[in-house]
Amino acid sequence: MSDSNSTVRWTLNGTEVENEAGMTIMEAAKVHGVDIPQFCYHPGLSIAGNCRICMVESNRSPKPVISCSERIAEGLEIKTQSEVAVDARNSVMEFQLINHPLDCPVCDKAGECVLQDHSYEHGPDRSRFVEDKNIRHTKELGPTIDIWGNRCIVCTRCVRFCDEISGTGELCVVERGDRSVVDVFPGVPIDNSLAGNTVDICPVGALISSDFKYEARVWNMDKTSSVCGGCSRGCNVEVETLDGFVKRLTPRENLDVNDWWMCDHGRYGWRHLYADSRLESAQHDGQAVSPTGTSGALHQLLSSSSSTAFLVDPYMTCEELHLVRSIANSLGGSTIAGWLPAAGTEETFPGGFKISADKHPNRKGAEHVLGSDLFTASADQLKSALSNGSIDTLVAFVGGDGFEGAGGEWNDLISKAGKRIVFATQQGSWCDGADLVVPATAPLEKEGVWVNEDDRAQRTRSCRSLTSNHFPSELVVLQELQVHMDLRNRPLSAAGIFRELSETSDAFSGHSHSGLGDSGSPLSQRPAAMSSEGGHS
Amino acid sequence: MTVTETLAFSDEAMKKYEWLLSRYPTRKAALLPTLRIAESEFGELGVPQMKYVADLMEIPPATVFGVVTFYTHYRRAGVGKYHLQVCSTLSCALRGSGDVVSRVTERLGIGVGETSECGLFTLSKVECLGSCDTAPVIQCNDDYHEGLSLEDVDALIEQLRQEAGKGGA
Repeated sequence: MSDSNSTVRWTLNGTEVENEAGMTIMEAAKVHGVDIPQFCYHPGLSIAGNCRICMVESNRSPKPVISCSERIAEGLEIKTQSEVAVDARNSVMEFQLINHPLDCPVCDKAGECVLQDHSYEHGPDRSRFVEDKNIRHTKELGPTIDIWGNRCIVCTRCVRFCDEISGTGELCVVERGDRSVVDVFPGVPIDNSLAGNTVDICPVGALISSDFKYEARVWNMDKTSSVCGGCSRGCNVEVETLDGFVKRLTPRENLDVNDWWMCDHGRYGWRHLYADSRLESAQHDGQAVSPTGTSGALHQLLSSSSSTAFLVDPYMTCEELHLVRSIANSLGGSTIAGWLPAAGTEETFPGGFKISADKHPNRKGAEHVLGSDLFTASADQLKSALSNGSIDTLVAFVGGDGFEGAGGEWNDLISKAGKRIVFATQQGSWCDGADLVVPATAPLEKEGVWVNEDDRAQRTRSCRSLTSNHFPSELVVLQELQVHMDLRNRPLSAAGIFRELSETSDAFSGHSHSGLGDSGSPLSQRPAAMSSEGGHS
Repeated sequence: MTVTETLAFSDEAMKKYEWLLSRYPTRKAALLPTLRIAESEFGELGVPQMKYVADLMEIPPATVFGVVTFYTHYRRAGVGKYHLQVCSTLSCALRGSGDVVSRVTERLGIGVGETSECGLFTLSKVECLGSCDTAPVIQCNDDYHEGLSLEDVDALIEQLRQEAGKGGA
């Protein structure tokens, strides 16, 4: 036995390789580009070793071993493509498929189903099983989760998730042998804030999200790698859309932020994109403004203003905030303050997952761009300036569900400005009497960078929802305004604006969109040498 | 099936449970014998009984549910007063356990897995009861009835009926 710090030399498919001691065969093989199939194994969960699909041939065992739990050792020789290994996988697949229905054409998992993939790659092309398949329950396990018991291969990933990650333990395997299936205790449904993850990790179509059920075939959807705007955790997500409509959000693996998980608040929190109250066109004194005319109207109002103030929200990207800063500076001494829409509570889970109490995805970023007292002293300053009527024109950004969440205090205050320009996602009292209402993008529709509570900058990308296709984003409108003000020749992409930000702000210096990539980077961790990047992402 | 609202272990059962806990490395590990206690205290393991055990042991009820349904030897809710478990593994099968099952079915008018209308009998086929030398075997609740001829089966049923009658059932 070698100690945990040493490396181990072993042989993989005839090639001698080296890995850190203590790794499992599966993990070590992956390092060398050899993928071993898996059903019950999940890197975020304990090892169960019950599906047997990962069996490989070993020189240390007369029978094939399971590579998910066997560790590498000096002199170990593993073959993943030998007759023994191929035959073992073939047999396991045949067993897995004995009671599995051939309902892929109506199964929501089809297209991203591990069983489908492994059956194609490792399974026999026909079944020798001529007996009757057994029938297991199809029912609701909770408000968001349904089970198709016939499809269940009893890998217990979902059971282990509820035991180890959410710590709620609602799921169990009932009965045994070929009657065994995942179930809940009668009267105790699966109802926790992480429940949706059980659907993601189900390798087959047994656990189905009742929200996504029958909504779309997975291969037809467009995927956008984005960031959840539900809280300042900034979970990395994949936004999946069909013809401009978001169909579902799934977590994207990022071991520095959210591991493999996301919470249900974020997962199902996208319906506001299609709310009836959603604003889709600009309104100037009650008259609709064409999408191309918005910035002109904005310029007209601002150029006649004697004193202008800006009220920004913490959903805005760093790029948008940077544009606001540069516009405010050119207007000369404008006040910029921020407001915080939502209060929340923190939720932590035994598996280490955390839902932040701070429900604002870019509070940190806003403080970096516009000053650390943006939401405190600056806000108080603006409040008193508004109360004593010294603000001629106020430009307010009202993201989220509007001021109600913050106690509605700003509702009264903003009406005290002489003129009012409102960027809002939703129709609301804050739009009443405004001189110009500009439709704003919501989280998931924004293109840019957010900084999460751990000071990690991450790129959120626009899922190009149908709604946001009807109007230019704030990023465009604000830049067009700059063009009107002769501050800019032509609008740039978000990457271009971010470069301007990184050149003028210490906090962001050295960072770029391409450098942040898909998984982001802590702001303090500056890339050593950045390749020059064009204005387009 | 009398499920009282105040389901609780007797003092004696609780003592036994405490003793059990001292013998296992974790609380959860004592689940199997604790279920045995619950079974003898409550007569059956239905939803309220499983919930009671889960609360007592501070483990998720789903865990208890999974364990109870995994084993065939726990008395689950809806089982009659006499649970006739006919061994149907090799030795018993060779010595005529199939006929024993048919005989019980004929006499009681119930199929395998069913409970008689009077609520007295439930018939199950189980795997090896470890009494191959005295095949065929019926396990009735905790008692073995061995080397059964078909007449013995009739007599057993008759005897159980009388017992139940005496008990004022």
